[in-house]
Amino acid sequence: MISAVPVGWVVGLAAALFAVGAIGVLVRKNPLIMFMSAEMMWNAAALAFIGYAAQWHQMQGQLMAFLIIATAAGEVGIGLALIVWVYHRRPRLDVDDVSEMKG
Amino acid sequence: MVGFIILAVLSFASAVGVVVARTPVHSALSLIGNVVTLAVFYLLLNAEFMAAAQVIVYAGAIMVLFLFVVTLLTAGKEERERPESLAGQRALSGVLAVAAGVLLAGIAVRDSAGPLVTRFSAGYGSLSAMGRVLWGPDFDYLAVVALMLLTAALAVLVLNRRAEDPRPAAAKEDAS
Repeated sequence: MISAVPVGWVVGLAAALFAVGAIGVLVRKNPLIMFMSAEMMWNAAALAFIGYAAQWHQMQGQLMAFLIIATAAGEVGIGLALIVWVYHRRPRLDVDDVSEMKG
Repeated sequence: MVGFIILAVLSFASAVGVVVARTPVHSALSLIGNVVTLAVFYLLLNAEFMAAAQVIVYAGAIMVLFLFVVTLLTAGKEERERPESLAGQRALSGVLAVAAGVLLAGIAVRDSAGPLVTRFSAGYGSLSAMGRVLWGPDFDYLAVVALMLLTAALAVLVLNRRAEDPRPAAAKEDAS
């Protein structure tokens, strides 16, 4: 069972998933894939919260994971609406094309 | 321990699959795998309600929305990503992200507090325990989440309002 696993390993896995998501956001140029990588980073944070919640027997950690899932749901709605909105104006999925606000 | 390693490898592999996939559809399918393995983790970490919420909200709602938009925008198209305009940006960012991940994971594993010995209280992580927290001492969070989701829904409505005629004003005059 997982209770034999130190909580640090769970949090270490969360850190690894977070780093993979960060690589996806930094390296890919398709906005949809970048967005999915960002979702993975949210998920990694939630996993760390739930791991520590199990370590300290605190429901508040799971509450934070609940907040993360709710925030991700709202974020996906707005983000996908933005991506579709931009796509209607320049039909190519590449974030480098969207540079009107370049300083 | 063996179960943890198998699950960790599965979830890490699907995470890498999201990043290296050629098309967004493959990314989305890998992300579903990642989400489901994380739900199993939540279940093993005594977070029953969060596991159910993860499957329903992520795999059920968010990923369906993603797949819908992916098929809407990229149906039948194969686009190669263009080469990077900033020289070395990809390599540098990749190296930095890997370094950050190794650092964080190293700290987490080093400062690990050891496995659990005490037993969980009855109903820890269940729906009723979650409800008692959400409707009791931490009601503020629930209210804020409700406000935030309402704001997000309104924002999506506002964003879609102008999408009914995407042509610029000049093109419209030409047409008339």
